[in-house]
Amino acid sequence: MQASELLNSYYVDADTWDEMYVNELVREQYRGVVDFMGQLSVEELNRKEEMARGLFMSQGITFTVYSSGEGIEKIFPFDIIPRIITAGEWGYIEKGIKQRLKALNLFLKDVYNDQFILQDGIIPVEMIYSCPHYLREMHGFPVPHDIYVHIAGIDLIRNNDGTFYILEDNLRTPSGVSYMLENREITKRIFPDLLPKNNVRTVTEYPNILHKNLVSLSPRQIPNPTIVLLTPGIYNSAYFEHTTLARLMGVELVEGRDLVVDNHRVYMKTTSGLQQVDVIYRRVDDDFLDPLVFNPNSMLGVAGIMSAYRKGNVAIVNAIGNGVADDKAIYTYVPQMIKYYLNEEPLLKNVPTYQLSNPEEREFVFKNMHKMVIKKTNESGGYGMLMGHAASEEEMSRYRVEIIKDPRQYIAQPTISLSSSPCYMNGRLQPRRIDLRPYALSGPDGIQIVPGGLTRVALKEGSLVVNSSQGGGSKDTWVLAV
Amino acid sequence: MLSRVADSLYWMSRYIERADGILRMLKINYASSQDDLHEFSWTPVLRIFTYLDEKQANAIARDSRTVLQYMVTDRENPNSVMNMVTHARENARSVQDHITKELWQCLNDFYHTIRENHLVRALQREDPITVLDVLIKQGLLYYGTTDITMARGEGYAFMNIGKLLERGMQSVDILDIKFGDLQYDFTKTDTMYWKYLLLSISGYELYLKTYRSGFEARNVVEQIVLNNDFPRSIVYSITHMHRYFVRLKSEGNTEGFRKIDFMVGKVESKVMFSSVEEIMEEGLHAYLTGVKEELYEVANALNAYYFAYS
Repeated sequence: MQASELLNSYYVDADTWDEMYVNELVREQYRGVVDFMGQLSVEELNRKEEMARGLFMSQGITFTVYSSGEGIEKIFPFDIIPRIITAGEWGYIEKGIKQRLKALNLFLKDVYNDQFILQDGIIPVEMIYSCPHYLREMHGFPVPHDIYVHIAGIDLIRNNDGTFYILEDNLRTPSGVSYMLENREITKRIFPDLLPKNNVRTVTEYPNILHKNLVSLSPRQIPNPTIVLLTPGIYNSAYFEHTTLARLMGVELVEGRDLVVDNHRVYMKTTSGLQQVDVIYRRVDDDFLDPLVFNPNSMLGVAGIMSAYRKGNVAIVNAIGNGVADDKAIYTYVPQMIKYYLNEEPLLKNVPTYQLSNPEEREFVFKNMHKMVIKKTNESGGYGMLMGHAASEEEMSRYRVEIIKDPRQYIAQPTISLSSSPCYMNGRLQPRRIDLRPYALSGPDGIQIVPGGLTRVALKEGSLVVNSSQGGGSKDTWVLAV
Repeated sequence: MLSRVADSLYWMSRYIERADGILRMLKINYASSQDDLHEFSWTPVLRIFTYLDEKQANAIARDSRTVLQYMVTDRENPNSVMNMVTHARENARSVQDHITKELWQCLNDFYHTIRENHLVRALQREDPITVLDVLIKQGLLYYGTTDITMARGEGYAFMNIGKLLERGMQSVDILDIKFGDLQYDFTKTDTMYWKYLLLSISGYELYLKTYRSGFEARNVVEQIVLNNDFPRSIVYSITHMHRYFVRLKSEGNTEGFRKIDFMVGKVESKVMFSSVEEIMEEGLHAYLTGVKEELYEVANALNAYYFAYS
């Protein structure tokens, strides 16, 4: 069988936006890839898939599952067919994310200082004080350059008419950017010459931009400040990403036990004594960062690091306490934030969201539960989610009881049908649902978004959950220059 | 350089050096077992490279396949090649930003290779030398990749210190146990015995070129302890380790540097200015034990002055 026949057997789910097909025709942006695949046999495609898997394995782009004492190496599933975004679509996304981030950053500054937005009644005060990620320790502390969100991973989805919606703002320690970089490297190998032929924009600048931003945050005005990336260690599922970023930026990868605080300064323990650290890109959650201030049982953090931060002797990226801005209940208010701080209309829409602490909205959600997605406000990674269309009566009634106990902990959204994209699976092309996470970097010179991102795929047929912890995979994401 | 990173690089390197030593030893001893069906015993090899007690070692000493399985793939054996490679890779994993991507991939491939099921089966049922060669080659790739891609900085120095210290200790052990097996009787001139010993540490060709008079215990000692041109000799390992160590001289940590420099210099001179006749006079076993103790002290001092981070 030729791959061209393979394309003919592709189908599109009803009432769904497909990234490749429209009315039985291949969209303009996908022609290059479709033509190329048309020349290949199924055997060749299988070989490419095999090669991609081999490259991930040999580069150690794996995570380890521990069972019965022995570690098993697994790779995050990768689909060889790229997801393609046109120049026009990208322009809109880029503008929309910049606008949103600007507002979110102003919100963080406001909520940890003057709190105008609360005084003006745009966001109810209870919403903030009931959020577990709102940290009093950050109150009144001027962060360098007023930047809180240095690195953001904003999740977008597309409903059945092709409109982009914001699904989630990840403003704490968003992960996955290494897959944006590595997936591209794999594409170069399995589809030689296809990238330049299709005018695909490069993503390789990401680590250089991030490094430049980190250097600019150094409290000491010295030529070569010490930048470190703080990782929880080799057992963390994102450890591969930490090493990749440290390597690509040429910064030291440290663990909590490598650092020590003395006289409100952070030092790392080296073979030639203690060396002062200026900037910390931490991939350790707020709660584990400083056992003296937050979780006292944390072994991953550094005792006294908060005091060094508050004295301005070390910069920490992302800022501490950002969780108050990407809380799923606060999410509802982001469009109002954009109007309030920027006096602009939001370019990228929110998914309609019901606050379950509001009795009327809760009643409505309870009546229409099978059409809703219910999420816990402070969970991520696809945990604590109820997909109404697939849930049993029993599960739904269990959620109802839980919600009534503490309604602030939940929100509900109507089920949005994610767009689909062709995936090469078991020798066939099959539609699977996808989302998009571009990575935005904020520095003193403004916000930059590398043209690309992580496209996550729900690998199970008909599934709408793309999280890697829930059996999701990923694709290379192309942004076209023209 | 972070103390933890230096520690990991040093151990990564030691583990691979040990794995390489074990694999070479196994390959040649297996070949030797095919020549010498009645006399051959794995006991010396088991004593050099495992923690088995005499009874346990003797129980398997005449069963080549069991010994190979135990020393190559057995996870219960803390010194199995499988465990060495796994530890080396774990160390490498936590210092990926200090080794080149090529080196990381190389160790990663080594790890995936030794875990392949067909290799484990082949070691049991087919020609074990083919399997050992595949693994030895992975080690060679590691050495070559290190040489070609690694920057000549502090990390490289720690890797070489680890490698050479491990190699020196191995050569001491091999010599001591092989001679112990003969009750340190220097009059024995068993050609096969010395030939296989030299082959197992890649010193056979050099021996033939250096000594024209056949195999003599005295010459074997001379080559393994004192030959500067033999990369596995004790004197070579120590002088080269010293050479890498002095590169660590810096503004910080002068106390540690001075102490260890002194210790390494002392054992280096001891070996460098020995002669075979003096060694025999002192007694080979006593001499080797002395050298080994000094090498252990160097390792402990490195730990205390350079790697302590908790």
